[in-house]
Amino acid sequence: MSDQLPSSSAPGIKLENVTQRFRVIQERPDTLRELFAKFFHSETNYRDFDALRGVSLEVPTGQMLGLIGRNGSGKSTLLKIIAGVYRPTSGRVRVEGTLAPLIELGAGFHHELTGRENILLNGLLMGYSREEMQQREKAIIEFAELGEFIDTPIKQYSSGMQTRLAFAVATEVDPDILVVDEILAVGDASFQQKCFARINKFRSKGKTILFVSHNMDQVTEYCDRVILLGRGMILADGDPDEVVGFYKSLSTPEPEISPSADSVAH
Amino acid sequence: MSGRASGSTKVYLRVKNWSEVLTGLFRDTFRYRELIWALALKELKVRYKRSVLGFLWALLNPALMMLVLTVVFSTIMRFNIPHYAIFLLSVLLPWTFFSQSLSYGVESIVSNGELIKKVSIPKMVFPIAAVLSNTINLFLSLIPMALLVVAMGHPFHSTWLYLPVPILALVIFTIGMACLVAAANVFYRDVAHILQVVLSAWFYFTPIIYALDFVPSHLRWLFKLNPIIYVINGFRLAIYYGQMPKWQSIAASFVCGFAVLIIGCAVFLKYQDEFVFYV
Repeated sequence: MSDQLPSSSAPGIKLENVTQRFRVIQERPDTLRELFAKFFHSETNYRDFDALRGVSLEVPTGQMLGLIGRNGSGKSTLLKIIAGVYRPTSGRVRVEGTLAPLIELGAGFHHELTGRENILLNGLLMGYSREEMQQREKAIIEFAELGEFIDTPIKQYSSGMQTRLAFAVATEVDPDILVVDEILAVGDASFQQKCFARINKFRSKGKTILFVSHNMDQVTEYCDRVILLGRGMILADGDPDEVVGFYKSLSTPEPEISPSADSVAH
Repeated sequence: MSGRASGSTKVYLRVKNWSEVLTGLFRDTFRYRELIWALALKELKVRYKRSVLGFLWALLNPALMMLVLTVVFSTIMRFNIPHYAIFLLSVLLPWTFFSQSLSYGVESIVSNGELIKKVSIPKMVFPIAAVLSNTINLFLSLIPMALLVVAMGHPFHSTWLYLPVPILALVIFTIGMACLVAAANVFYRDVAHILQVVLSAWFYFTPIIYALDFVPSHLRWLFKLNPIIYVINGFRLAIYYGQMPKWQSIAASFVCGFAVLIIGCAVFLKYQDEFVFYV
């Protein structure tokens, strides 16, 4: 049973025993012909894959939580469940407060539209009104340092410009929970500094931040707490230096071989 | 801070009864009205992007189509119906709206798949926006229609003022159909192809290029099962004949519209949480 619990005080984000199962179809029956073929042969050409296995997690309001782990460890799935993109196969999810629900910065951008048009569209996608976005437009343009390019279709933007605009929109709308997923790799050093200055401002306002990064220096520098995910389970949870140290000890000798999650877990 | 896309206020819709489907639909449509409008405008903008005449095509397209049809039917193929071009176009416009809305609508979830994987919003905004952008086109195409009526010397009836009523019934009907085909197409991409065949068959079995009177009387009951003929005929009565439809046929067009809307939305809402795994 998955359920959205009614609001109360207590933690900002609470996951109870959350499992997300994907049906990985080896030969996708994308067409009716394949459906009929499958119907008559009745063979199961899929396997179930649990991207998250019974994850329980509480994030108190105001915490900056780092999520680390290899590709495929379940970081994105976890973020998507918190953002409401996936409805978990089982378990309970409670999210207090508003969250900029775009799981990937700039995901709602349309390349034929101008920067200004995209600011509005992105804001509307995140559930804000036209009026709210128009009030914030000036500050967004200023922070993104786009100048006169704001009325140019964003397909002509560099990737750095697009990221700047996306980060500016996501943070200017002032959500209670900020999701920062792997974005600060783009953009030059001075813009990264600006981004972290803004992240610090969010922290000082007591907002919850979920920070996903492969840059361990950033993780240890900014996070209050770090969770290491592996094979859809929480392998380690706690002090940033300790968890990052543990993660590094797992992955230093041969990064290609994935650690046996079951043996590490308990 | 209410009305955000995510957070503690979020309620997942579960289909329990028909009235819940409708209240859910209207609540989401109202709450996301600005997004739906922006998506519809985006679709039009992108459609006419990089063309010299730009948005003018929304007017020129139906105007040129009308010109061609008028020339063909007043010189080459002559029917016993006076001002046949107007007789035809008065229902061809709503039909074009219907078939184009479905052609855009059927892909609306799949083509926004990348977005659906990354943001939590009611998925119904996509088919509704597809229908809305074509509704804007339908209203625009009434301008060349009016010009044609004047140019051909056909009387300009006061019943034009009644047109918003059949347009409303048709939009309701079309949103229901668009939701149905959009949801089905997520799971089986054949639906988009089948739809084109169904639409062209549906076109010929609907009194568009002919009148219902031409149908042999013993088959007429069969044609009356077609849920779209009541609303389509409202356009012809208002533009061509200058008559108000009977109240029974107005009622029938809204009954058909809401029936299709409820079925389409119920199916859509039932499966919308699964879309993200299939797009």
